[in-house]
Amino acid sequence: AVLRAVPGAVLGAVPRPPALHRGLAKPAGPRSVRQLREAEEAAPVFQYAGKAAKRKDRVFVWGFCYSGALGVPSFVKPDVGWKKPRRIQATPYRLETEEKISSAACGYGFTLLSSHTTDITKVWGMGLNKDSQLGFQRSIRDRTKGYEYVLEPSPIPLPLEKPQQTRVLQVSCGRAHSLILTDSEGVFTMGNNSYGQCGRKVIEDETYSESHLIHQLKEFDSRVVQVVCGQDHSLFRTKKGAVYACGWGADGQTGLGHYNITSVPTKLHGDIAGVNIIQVSSYGDCCLAVSDEGDVFGWGNSEYLQLASVTETTQVNVPRHLPFKIGKIKEAACGGTGNIVLTEEGNVFVWGYGILGKGPNLIETAVPEMIPPSLFGWSDFSPDIRVAHVRCGLSHFAALTNRGELFVWGKNLRGCLGTGRMEDQYFPWRVTVPGEVVDVACGVDHMVSMVKSFA
Amino acid sequence: LNAAPGRAPRQHVRFLPAPDGTTGLVAARVPVLADHPLVRGPRFRRLKIGAGHRLDTKASGVFVLGIGHGNKLLTHLYNCHLTKVYTVGGLFGKATDDFSDTGNLVEKTTFDHITREKLERIVAVIQGTNHKALLMYSNIDMKTQEAYELAVKGLIRPMGKSPPIITAIRCLQFALPEFQLEIHCLHETQQYLRKIVHEIGLELKSSAVCTQVRRIRDGVFTLDDALLRTQWNLQSIRNAIWDCQLKVKTELEKTLG
Repeated sequence: AVLRAVPGAVLGAVPRPPALHRGLAKPAGPRSVRQLREAEEAAPVFQYAGKAAKRKDRVFVWGFCYSGALGVPSFVKPDVGWKKPRRIQATPYRLETEEKISSAACGYGFTLLSSHTTDITKVWGMGLNKDSQLGFQRSIRDRTKGYEYVLEPSPIPLPLEKPQQTRVLQVSCGRAHSLILTDSEGVFTMGNNSYGQCGRKVIEDETYSESHLIHQLKEFDSRVVQVVCGQDHSLFRTKKGAVYACGWGADGQTGLGHYNITSVPTKLHGDIAGVNIIQVSSYGDCCLAVSDEGDVFGWGNSEYLQLASVTETTQVNVPRHLPFKIGKIKEAACGGTGNIVLTEEGNVFVWGYGILGKGPNLIETAVPEMIPPSLFGWSDFSPDIRVAHVRCGLSHFAALTNRGELFVWGKNLRGCLGTGRMEDQYFPWRVTVPGEVVDVACGVDHMVSMVKSFA
Repeated sequence: LNAAPGRAPRQHVRFLPAPDGTTGLVAARVPVLADHPLVRGPRFRRLKIGAGHRLDTKASGVFVLGIGHGNKLLTHLYNCHLTKVYTVGGLFGKATDDFSDTGNLVEKTTFDHITREKLERIVAVIQGTNHKALLMYSNIDMKTQEAYELAVKGLIRPMGKSPPIITAIRCLQFALPEFQLEIHCLHETQQYLRKIVHEIGLELKSSAVCTQVRRIRDGVFTLDDALLRTQWNLQSIRNAIWDCQLKVKTELEKTLG
């Protein structure tokens, strides 16, 4: 009976002191204004962008993917199981590049990107390479063969004398050839030369695929400042304001007064002899040149009424002055069947054949028609919106405003407009790009844009 | 209202017995007893007041009301889909859970890298994408000539249900950390505008809260037509209705035909 255990007590232990009283914790009520203010002031401040944060340069691509011209390999050959091959990229897609791209050009199923750097790799190419328009891309599997399709932006090795000093200024692409303009080593040409468009003598039965040949052109009257590729011809504009041409001439697009092939760049005369030309443009078989006084000259194919204001013939092989009374012209762009010019006041004029941008009723016109500025976002609320640049693809047009917005219209071939829809666009429509569009290059079925981020 | 003189009582012809006491009836024109004020009671016991587009408790500004038969005009005005104009004030540096400055703090950020130019660029892009939405929700086939003509004149507008669309937006004032925007919009709520302020802050790599939302125009009604709290009396209400009648009528005729 003595050893009966007291509940909770050990035999012989010191009796415990009375248990400490624990008050129940008060639940946290709503914080008073002072507590809130103090908590707010004590909160940490995050910095996402410092005071000297720079805007980043980005490249966006959209259009037909299977040729590899967009430079995203997973569109053609998915790298992960859940991805499916994508035939068309209908909205702008970001392309990661190592360097800041200063110039881009879209050809017929391939793209060239170039940077202003002095590193060894200055030009990247992707897309079709069946005529070596992207140079020789050595295949990894078989070191003697080259790739026919390049799916990723791959560096193009140029035979430069001073590779760490020369800078690439501009690139241009045609149907199966491409031109690269450098600042001190002339123009490099690659690709198909069956019509002499690369500026070298035509060799019969030459195989152009897997060719290592990159030709260099240096003999011009002064430094070349702009190169433009038409479908199968090339145009060079020099610092003195002269224009040289070579390539196919059956539509008179070389402007040399005959309809034959030219395999050496030859100077153009006609109405532009002695005129200081500040811009040349071509993409199909028609060419336009703008002089420093605001006049526009045209030559080449006129089957679609592009030059019908001066002549009834369907081919013009000598540059002719186009007497348009629309004001001083700042920039011109030629497409396959339609032409577009931009005047000093910021007005946009179109003429030719196809979807010109003034609704479905305007199919063809020989005289330039103005596109109302309200379609580009101009209104009483924002009266200082102007179109800054115009560009042309084979059957569509693009316009850039001074606020960095991109407007496209024309035939929506395989999603090249980038609007997200597959229908043709009959009047200028905004493309939503997450950034300020600085420049855009239009091809047949794809487009590339250089964009600066917002903040 | 009940004190104002009402309609005169109706009169009818009754055959009353002759006053002289002789037999026969005499036709007399007497007021109808049912129209007597003591029988009828006060003319107005309740007023039907309808509200136009909603306004938050945290927002202020023009609020359109309809009285009695005017409620029918409210539905017509709604179907006109006219734009409303707001002045929205914002503050950089804070992000809260309900996007206004009275909410719970989520994050604080720096904002010294923000310039007026960056803000205007973002605001222009918002206007551009919303302009695209305007054309898309207006349910017009883009391939027709009339769509082109309406787009040139700028008259394309959604005439049915659509998500909130901003037709125009611009920066009125900019003094770090505060800024003020003027927003013209359709089918919106004030919380949507606060969310836009928050998203502008995010796009500028910082954060923003909305301090003030004030509606300065609702269709045809502007701040000048609005009555202040001190003016909520019968006389001013009557004058306001009278002044706005013509404006509302012309607008309805122009839009709905």
